[in-house]
Amino acid sequence: MKQGYRSIYRGLHKYKASEERLAYLLLAPVVILVGGLILFPVIGTFVSSLYKNITFLPPVKFIGLGNYKKLFTDVHFWHSTYITILFAIVAVFCETALGMFYAVVINEKFRLRGLMRAIVLIPWAIPTIISARTWQLIYNYNYGLLNYLFVHFHLSHHAINWLGTSTSAFSSIVVADVWKTAPFMAILFLAGLQAIPESLYEAARVDGASLSQQFWRITLPLLRPVIVIALIFRTIDSLRIFDLIYVLTGGGPGGSTSSISIYGFKAYILGDFGYGSTVSVFTFFVILIFTIFYLKAGRFQQGLKK
Amino acid sequence: MRSKVIRLLALLVVVALIATVSFVGCKPKPAPQPQKPVEKPEKVTIVFAVGGAPSEIDYWHSVIDKFEAKNPNITVDLLRQPMQTETRMQTLVTPLSGKESTPDVFLMDVAWVGQFAASGWLAPLDDFVSKDNYDLSVFFKKTLDLADTYKGKLRALPVYIDAGLLYYRKDLLKKYGYTAPPATWDELVKMAQKVQKGERKDNPNFWGFVWQGKQYEGLVCDFLEYIVSNGGNILDKDGNPIINSDNNVEALTFMRDLIHKYNISPPNTYTEMTEEPVRTTFQSGNALFERNWPYAWALHNADDSPVKGKVGIAPLPHFPGGESAATLGGWHIGMNIYSKHKEAAWKFIKFVESYETQKGFAMNLGWNPGRKDVYDDPDVVAKAPYLKDLRKVFVGAVPRPGVPYYTKLSSVIQKYVNAAIAGKMDPKEALDKAEEELKEIIKQYGKG
Repeated sequence: MKQGYRSIYRGLHKYKASEERLAYLLLAPVVILVGGLILFPVIGTFVSSLYKNITFLPPVKFIGLGNYKKLFTDVHFWHSTYITILFAIVAVFCETALGMFYAVVINEKFRLRGLMRAIVLIPWAIPTIISARTWQLIYNYNYGLLNYLFVHFHLSHHAINWLGTSTSAFSSIVVADVWKTAPFMAILFLAGLQAIPESLYEAARVDGASLSQQFWRITLPLLRPVIVIALIFRTIDSLRIFDLIYVLTGGGPGGSTSSISIYGFKAYILGDFGYGSTVSVFTFFVILIFTIFYLKAGRFQQGLKK
Repeated sequence: MRSKVIRLLALLVVVALIATVSFVGCKPKPAPQPQKPVEKPEKVTIVFAVGGAPSEIDYWHSVIDKFEAKNPNITVDLLRQPMQTETRMQTLVTPLSGKESTPDVFLMDVAWVGQFAASGWLAPLDDFVSKDNYDLSVFFKKTLDLADTYKGKLRALPVYIDAGLLYYRKDLLKKYGYTAPPATWDELVKMAQKVQKGERKDNPNFWGFVWQGKQYEGLVCDFLEYIVSNGGNILDKDGNPIINSDNNVEALTFMRDLIHKYNISPPNTYTEMTEEPVRTTFQSGNALFERNWPYAWALHNADDSPVKGKVGIAPLPHFPGGESAATLGGWHIGMNIYSKHKEAAWKFIKFVESYETQKGFAMNLGWNPGRKDVYDDPDVVAKAPYLKDLRKVFVGAVPRPGVPYYTKLSSVIQKYVNAAIAGKMDPKEALDKAEEELKEIIKQYGKG
């Protein structure tokens, strides 16, 4: 009898083991893909940051943290980091505010709501490089739309060189970025809004809560997880800002709008792969810090546990 | 515990799998088939990477067709690159630093040749030249020596040559009583101010002088022309930076003044002005003088151009006591050192440099051939009479520093010169800082 149990147990165990094997087999392609396409390059970049690897100065040599030492004393790198973080904070804040506004509006029932939703989403559907070119034309000094409007409506006597000073170039980049990505925030928020049961608002109305009270007390708290996710997405994205700046200012005037990615790209173009990798690894840590901050601040894990 | 073991096993399996896959991938190819009769040589395919405007790509296709007709054993695949210079460079740096055998042949901007050669990516051409008794005297000697030779070995050949030029409106100079284009920068300012003042009455968008000032490679080319025409330079003969010399500060101050003091160059010079915006401003009739490359000539004289027939070309002006200077630009052809078909690649390079193909560049694309002898061809002279005069400018064109870390030097120069002409920084201060950083770069990258 005992023998029998044991064999059943053994059989079950065998079955379980084979099941597990099958599971791992089925998982293998994903593991290989993730490992090959994400993990391997990430580790590769980190390893490469420890080497002096300059195409025109062979041989490739292990220099430990030499590239990092250089990075920490590189004034232009720190300026690029400052610009990137400033950009991320300002742009993401504006996007969130505008995206929230869009979302609340297109969540209401009104005529042509479908059309309105489509229009709001259009900027997000346009590739960045194309919208960057479009904004370049809008800001153009000679024949740009913005200068035409300013002069036509007598807001300014003469044409304004929008990309001409550090501040105005920076603001111009932020505006172009917010225009494009606020719709992305709006989509996420809209999905969040639609998950909030109507009954809560009905109850609030019965209790005599004003519209703004409803927004601050019901909408915003219930949207928090969605907001945190949206912020993470957008912050990561804007910390990697490249294309918009590359097209609009090329990092100018006088290097004042260079971002970390532009800086890393220039190291790579020069053929200094070690230093370029170091810049990338640093970007990785900056993004990591922001993400951890959001996860903590958003009390995300708690929300999941509940 | 057990699950940990299984997890480890699974990982091992995955690693083994990857290893197998990559091993299979690396497996040597099956031995070549028994030797074929000698009279039927093997057909080879070489890859040629080139970018540019659609009309240029079309022309390259026709060059390839002619080459293939003459060499039935060689197929040339055209690998199309993007239009922008910097991205074109990127599409070459990636395969070459990965030791890829293709593209076999490619075009390089003259400014990259040093970096590519020092990286060991360019096959030396000397053996091919001596084996074929190839005549190098048909090329501009200075270009070969300064741009194409690295450590005594020939690494590339010029396909076409660019040099900075002054375009001017013949009709307007005549209207305001001038008989010749300006020889010095002072004359240019005086003429531009007078004409601009007169023309502004009808056309408020009119500017005296347009040039490239955005923070990008083109700005370094323009900057070099101003400083060399004042007796300065970026590096001295031994490669030490001399960018903050008094002459250079004077030249840079003049560049800034063109925008901020004389008001003959628009404020968007330092934010938007690259080659094309400069060309379109001039071509739409909104400027008296233009600094641009030779490509603009054909476009200014196209049938739909408002300034057709009203444009003249001259060497760029100089400072008192200096000499006119033009930055050497243009594209050079080189061979991948990892190429598996170097003989075929060399045949193709020779074909691109042949009289016939080079003449075609001048006739069809308005390019300035890398070969000197084409400039005397009667058809070319008839089609582009200005070329004969330009030859002098090409012969004396000033190259940018040929050091392998040029891209890095350039990005520093771009930044500070742009800051100065934007009025963000005093020219002296900007060049002092640039000097400091150039020294730092040379210390870092100059000595292995």
